[in-house]
Amino acid sequence: MATALTTEVGVVAEIEGKLARLREKESGDGGPVLRTSTMTHLAWAPPAWLPQARATLAGLRDRHPARTILLVPEPRRATAITAKVGLYAIDVEGARDAYAEVIEVGLRGDAVEHPASIVLPLLISDLPVFCRWRGEPEWESPQLHELLSVIDRLVVNSSEWHGLPASYERLADLFERVAVSDIAFSRTVAWRATLAQRWPEIRAIERLAVEGPKADALLLAGWLRSRLRRDVRLSWRRADTVVAVRVDGDTVAPPPGEPESGSDLLSDELDVFGRDLVYEAAVRAVR
Amino acid sequence: MLAIFGASGDLTRRKLFPALYALAYRRLLPERFSVVGVARSEQTTAQFRAAMKQAVKDFGHDPFRQDVWDSLAKSLRYIATEFDSDAGEDSVAQLLDECDKDNGTEGNRVYYLAVPPQAFETVVEEIGERRERQGWTRVIVEKPFGHDLASANELNALLHRWFDEDEIFRIDHYLGKETVQNMLALRFANGIFEPIWNRQFIDHIQITVAETIGVEGRAGFYEQAGAIRDIFQNHLLQLLALTAMEPPIDFTADSVRNEKVKVLRAMHTPGPKNVVRGQYGRGFVEGVEVPAYREEPGVAADSGTETYVAAKLFVDNWRWADTPFYVRAGKRLARRETTIAIQFQRAPHPPFAEIAGDGLRPNVLLIHVQPDEGVSLAIGAKVPGQGMTIRTVHMDFLYGGAFRTGLPEAYERLILDAMLGDATLFTREDEVEEQWKLVDAIVGPWKRDRPNFPNYEAGSWGPRVADDLLHRDGRSWRRH
Repeated sequence: MATALTTEVGVVAEIEGKLARLREKESGDGGPVLRTSTMTHLAWAPPAWLPQARATLAGLRDRHPARTILLVPEPRRATAITAKVGLYAIDVEGARDAYAEVIEVGLRGDAVEHPASIVLPLLISDLPVFCRWRGEPEWESPQLHELLSVIDRLVVNSSEWHGLPASYERLADLFERVAVSDIAFSRTVAWRATLAQRWPEIRAIERLAVEGPKADALLLAGWLRSRLRRDVRLSWRRADTVVAVRVDGDTVAPPPGEPESGSDLLSDELDVFGRDLVYEAAVRAVR
Repeated sequence: MLAIFGASGDLTRRKLFPALYALAYRRLLPERFSVVGVARSEQTTAQFRAAMKQAVKDFGHDPFRQDVWDSLAKSLRYIATEFDSDAGEDSVAQLLDECDKDNGTEGNRVYYLAVPPQAFETVVEEIGERRERQGWTRVIVEKPFGHDLASANELNALLHRWFDEDEIFRIDHYLGKETVQNMLALRFANGIFEPIWNRQFIDHIQITVAETIGVEGRAGFYEQAGAIRDIFQNHLLQLLALTAMEPPIDFTADSVRNEKVKVLRAMHTPGPKNVVRGQYGRGFVEGVEVPAYREEPGVAADSGTETYVAAKLFVDNWRWADTPFYVRAGKRLARRETTIAIQFQRAPHPPFAEIAGDGLRPNVLLIHVQPDEGVSLAIGAKVPGQGMTIRTVHMDFLYGGAFRTGLPEAYERLILDAMLGDATLFTREDEVEEQWKLVDAIVGPWKRDRPNFPNYEAGSWGPRVADDLLHRDGRSWRRH
């Protein structure tokens, strides 16, 4: 369970002070305030994505104690930077509470273009920095390239993109700069395991049919092509989740179990540090 | 009695009076006490009182209480004088005598010299010539204490013409910060750290003094000083000395300062390859575009002054031989922070699969001097659940919240110590000499070349060449 204290602040430089005061307020018994962190977690969340971003993050706190910085770009508003901070107590059974922090930064007008100058002072020293980018990045934008220079891992969900499959080419250009994860790829893991069980017959596959999100279908096909090193033709029918997969006309039995939630999927990605070479190969093999 | 010379300046307004008020608020000022402000600016005592009252309201950390202010203000006087005028100084001396009589301070005086360097000699001479024979005298000297070894020696000689070393309190406000003092407590009040506080267990140490601000109206001073004289010579070397010093036999001023001097003497001069300097260009700090150093008012358009300095230093003694101390200080960096990071050596043979330890970094004990005073320890811990994945977890002990009293401001502590005659947190003559010897040796070669400035963007972590200092050794600056 987490309890929240939030307060409005107007100047980014005051964020740390506000957090310190919140920590002191929480430490009612005079004992030391303990903050526990394993990372700095950034989330680039345009206003349309904000409710989902908040909900996902709320589900993550107990599993990934972190300082979370939500960056909310609003380029059409007058230039300003706003911030709201919160302190969340992570209940540890039979032990003293530890605290995690959430900072929501509104980047308005021109401030959208220089997020690194706000993020850099707020990173927790020496810990990895993950960035969940909601929606499709503007590939040439200064904000994307600035943030890439301060993060260790970019987490996207390509099923949120409109430019598929061409956008995968743009994404592949980033692989040498930063480790990338894709929630659309992660949620196909159960289907990939099921397909892998068809080895060795599957190595002769020629056609793959997927009924599900476009990104999932493209990535499944790319994964098969890159693993098998042969062309696989994809036919796709839209659905909200992957509900059916056929290999050369033969229906693949759905994997058992319930699909993971958004928080669970993101949580899995936050445990990964190095490059995901299997994913990178799948992306490069998308047609 | 506290006599502040240069009382109309920013330091008095922003630091000294808020500190005096804080001492009054905590009832730490003596019963018989008075303050006299001395400066060139013409103003009456009433005007000075009003200005200082406002300063306490603007810059004080404690709630303003009229009764506390009244207790401080009742003995507050102001006198305007030209420092180089004998008649003026006589009238100052006369006022101080009057205050002595009125408040019963019996000739016990603290002179606070908050004057610009060019006025220093005159003020010291005038005070020295008229020093009170009755009671004790202490002189607090603000930095900069000289601009090189020769000028520091001259200042020391000047002070010693009139005052003994134990009457001179050279201020380095960093030493008044709680966390700096807590460093001594951390090291010498805990049995667990000292046995591993040496070359056998520590891989290297990084000390960072980073500011986000530019020269802020101090261009005249900064153009002459640069980062090496403004920060490196004093704050940075003091932090290094406190980190590296041997345990003192007790906590008296001389015992602590003896150990610090030994560290400074054991440091060898870094070669040019082990020193990096930089100057900021335009950039963004906290979302706001800021000008290049050369575009700041009062700065030469072709200025060669460094706003960043980094160095790899060694303390050649039994404890620290071959253990690098990487230090850096700069303006317009990404974040305001002063930290001392003790990076321990990696575990010799972690018995975990390589993939499990991807997120594992060496243990770091991080001492936050400012802005959030505290201590952090980075330790490896197992991620709950299946498998054996190890990740670095930061446990932050945030000092500000640990005790139910606010942290005293550095000046509060230092002014009180000077009044009590405790010089532990002030810099001794030989410390200053050793600091300047090192700085002189570093800047000597700088006179022969013209650096290619600017070489880092405002809002970044400094010039790329500073990274090479560590990359050459297979290390990197702590990430931020």
